[in-house]
Amino acid sequence: MTEERDLHPLEEKLLVYLEENGESSDAEIIERSDLPDEGSYRRAAEWLLSRELVREISRDEEEFVELGPMGIGNLEAGVTPELAMLREVARGAGSLQDIQKNTLFDRGRWGSAFGSLTKTGHLKKDADGIHLTCEPEETVFRKIWDLVYELLSGGGELKMTRLPEDVVSIINDRSPKRGKSRAEFTVNVLVTRVLDITEEGRIALRAAKESITIGAITPEILADGSWRNAKFRRYQLDIPPSQIHTGRLHPYRQFLDTVRKRFMALGFAEMRGSLAENEFWNNDALFMPQFHPARDIHDVYFLSDGIKVPPPERELEERVAEVHENGGNTGGRGWGYSFSRKQSLQAILRSQGTALSARTLASNPAIPGKYFGIARCFRYDQVDSTHLPDFFQVEGIVLGEYINLRHLLGLLRLFAEEIAGASDFKFLPGYFPFTEPSVEMHIKHPVLGWVEGGGAGLFRPEVCLPLGIDVPVIAWGLGLDRMAMLAMGIEDIRDLITPDLSRLRGIRVLPDHLLKGKVDENA
Amino acid sequence: MPKIEVSRQDLFSIACIDDPGDDKLADILSLVKGEIDASEGDKLKIELNDTNRPDLWCVEGVARALRCWNSGAEKHLTELPEPDMDIFVDPGLEKVRPFVAAFAACGWAPDERELDALIDVQEKLAASFGRNRKTAAAGFYLLDEIEFPVRYRTASPETSFVPLGFDQEMTLSEIPEETETGRTYAHLLAGSELWPLLEDTGGNVLSFPPVLNSQTTGRVSAGDSRLFCEVTGTDWDTVQLSATILACNLQDRGAEIIPVRVNYPEPYPEKTVVSPVIFSDLMITSMDSVRGVLGVDISPESVRKALQRMDYASVKLDETGITGILPPYRRDGIHAVDMIEDIAISLGLSSFEPLLPEQFTLGRCAPIEDLADAVRLLLIGTDCEEILRPVLTSREKVMDLSRTPKSPVSIANPMTAEYGVVRNTLLPGLLEVESTSAHAAYPHRIFETGEVLIDCEEGYCRTEVLLTCLVCGNKADFGDIHSIIGSVCHARKLEMSLADTDDARFIPGRCAAITIDGRVSGVIGELHPLVLDNWGISRPASAFEIALSALKG
Repeated sequence: MTEERDLHPLEEKLLVYLEENGESSDAEIIERSDLPDEGSYRRAAEWLLSRELVREISRDEEEFVELGPMGIGNLEAGVTPELAMLREVARGAGSLQDIQKNTLFDRGRWGSAFGSLTKTGHLKKDADGIHLTCEPEETVFRKIWDLVYELLSGGGELKMTRLPEDVVSIINDRSPKRGKSRAEFTVNVLVTRVLDITEEGRIALRAAKESITIGAITPEILADGSWRNAKFRRYQLDIPPSQIHTGRLHPYRQFLDTVRKRFMALGFAEMRGSLAENEFWNNDALFMPQFHPARDIHDVYFLSDGIKVPPPERELEERVAEVHENGGNTGGRGWGYSFSRKQSLQAILRSQGTALSARTLASNPAIPGKYFGIARCFRYDQVDSTHLPDFFQVEGIVLGEYINLRHLLGLLRLFAEEIAGASDFKFLPGYFPFTEPSVEMHIKHPVLGWVEGGGAGLFRPEVCLPLGIDVPVIAWGLGLDRMAMLAMGIEDIRDLITPDLSRLRGIRVLPDHLLKGKVDENA
Repeated sequence: MPKIEVSRQDLFSIACIDDPGDDKLADILSLVKGEIDASEGDKLKIELNDTNRPDLWCVEGVARALRCWNSGAEKHLTELPEPDMDIFVDPGLEKVRPFVAAFAACGWAPDERELDALIDVQEKLAASFGRNRKTAAAGFYLLDEIEFPVRYRTASPETSFVPLGFDQEMTLSEIPEETETGRTYAHLLAGSELWPLLEDTGGNVLSFPPVLNSQTTGRVSAGDSRLFCEVTGTDWDTVQLSATILACNLQDRGAEIIPVRVNYPEPYPEKTVVSPVIFSDLMITSMDSVRGVLGVDISPESVRKALQRMDYASVKLDETGITGILPPYRRDGIHAVDMIEDIAISLGLSSFEPLLPEQFTLGRCAPIEDLADAVRLLLIGTDCEEILRPVLTSREKVMDLSRTPKSPVSIANPMTAEYGVVRNTLLPGLLEVESTSAHAAYPHRIFETGEVLIDCEEGYCRTEVLLTCLVCGNKADFGDIHSIIGSVCHARKLEMSLADTDDARFIPGRCAAITIDGRVSGVIGELHPLVLDNWGISRPASAFEIALSALKG
């Protein structure tokens, strides 16, 4: 007994019963012993059998058949598709197409009935069509109807041994172990065992009765000191733990948190904006002409009549209008059109994170200064596996007296390495109405290859000067949803905002790996 | 972004370079801010990112940029003959479609492929640059079928001609009903009783712009070497620049360009305009600006070379000043920085060594985000799971299903009703989670911090960050939700008190207004079975929603 573990209380109960009652069947033990339920009995029996403290005297297996979901469907139809098909042919149907016109069963089920009937030889097909080789009412399918369906019409199950061999063979064919939801029959096996205690069992039981074994430690046991002379029952330690649904952060928010932390670590201060903007801050202040296609009603969401966003200061608005019309004091010639104040004040949902930068520039920022913001933006897109109604964009600006194109490239390189975890990157000339020069970065993602890594540039003088900024400003922006999908290992963008809690619980991310392209595949 | 489809063979033959292969080509296309969209056999799809460079939206334009970068600036539309063809514009057109520009191109006979390219650029200019033919649309004709002068006049809807591609006459009023292009473009003339018509001296109709050309004069085919081109539209600049771009393209192909004089009546500001107009926008900057923006100590001579490779034919410079003239097909230079960017592109971005900004700046978290981070961690500590839902939602979810007391702000032009309003509460989003998560193991304790749009007084709206938390399961009563907000307030050193209130979302008598440090900040309660029933939620649920800022303390 030195290496043996002590008896579990369930094991002890079963041994006690067998010692008192001798050979007993499963049913007797479950009904009469002190074991709390059938599950406890079966567990205790398995443990004791493996330790040879009880032995199996006999073992009987009996099979029972019951109707599966498809069988129940047949019962409702009053016939099986095979029998119905044989009858249709007997009545003169000459082709599968003829029979499939009958809507008693769908085309698929007629088709598979036809397949099995030609396989069993009940039907033959030649150039003239299909023919019977039997009398339908004398086939095994009629027998199944009478002996199985009729008897099970009120539910329950039948002993397989009572059924003729050909019927059993069909039932076995049609009761798959997998895909039970479409099975015609289900076959259940009932095992009946008779157990008895062994000599080792009696010894173990005696030993157990003589010593005190402690299961759960209670405050009383600690208080009365009874543990000093007792044994501690050994636990089975390698069973799976029960799962705790812990509180957890949302995986996409964790990704965004990681991006924010990186920016703050690089010396950027966080900007915040509002969901609704007027066109002034979203577009005009960024020198996007009022006729720009991206300002079209098909690209931007307008808020309903009457809802407004506070207008900019009149002087600022006039400076911006002048720059649009004729370049103002920027040295440029402007877009050359008549600026509409009405359009400028139209309230819209923010369509680009750059609106945050415009507001920051107008609010007397620190120079030198570095700012970033993560903004929810809205574009006019049909929602599908790659588009959401709103998406997250990160936006950054850097202001400084001696800032130039090379600093822009240097920062982009830093972002590629620090934020996107890219192994390689390249710069291409880009076009944005508010920057010049403009640069697009492409980054080499470890999984996807070359992807867009954001647009950037030096804000045009037409953007900076009216907002009161007379030093160069680097601006950079990137949509984050796609990067997040890659980092989180999800393929449908809608999963980022899923309302399905079990799906959400299935997305497991390692926040410290989020920006390195390492993902848990088991999403 | 405009996309064009070109023949590789055509592109490289007029660019005068050997096919470099797709990888190399991808780098070369950065010259025109272009990207390869697709490449299959001879077919090449290119996406052009610069929405201000319509001259690049065709094989001729892309090829020209590559050619010039290799061998320097070219002469465009110089030494043109005097115009000997006239167009007379009738009074009244200023109200419909005021402007027309035209020229003839002789001595170059396009083959099938080249003709396709010509039609492509004509379509692309009208569609993208010409705003779907509104501000400008072009047409090509057989020069020899036209008897000059041409009249650009207004016509009544009963005027008839045989449209291109048809074999019988139709009246102008039939065209919008009988033809595909008519159906697409007739709205551009809506509201006018008189429609524009181009007609020659012999009474032959050239075109019913911007809808359809005529079969008689417009049936241009491969091999025709004497072409007439016209552009009509509502915007003078767009019309002229389109004509100039087309003329440059045809000249590049080898055609001789013959200008046309357009004669305008009162009240047009100018009596005659000869087209194509030779634009020559002056760009002026200084070496200091160039060096300042690019961050390199570049020499004036290098600047000149760089600009010549970008097709600036004339560059005057000394140690301080630089004057460049944009080629006639470009009008996108509206500030000196545009020319400086051209220098950078010409030199290639990879020739600039990246630098990091050296000045010290502080990294800092926005105060509301700082608070949100702290509160989110507290909620995780109460075993709540964080949720993220979209900002756009439907009126039905907010009002009908969730019984929210205040109406959310609507979108005037929603794409679908499903995303027709901006959320003003986070609760419907969490209820939707419950309605789709009955199969997820209970209990459910979920929360979201997020932005909502509040419609405040005088029609102004304001973005606010809310915190909403919901518990749902076999037991999820007032006490369960109360303990969560209670422990959050305790941790934040805040005094919280509750006062009975009425709110259609919650069960009367089990719903309270939350006051934190003396300020009413939100609501808490057991959700009304009506709301649960609306959402198909089969277990009890309780929730609170507060302004996140109330937890600042």
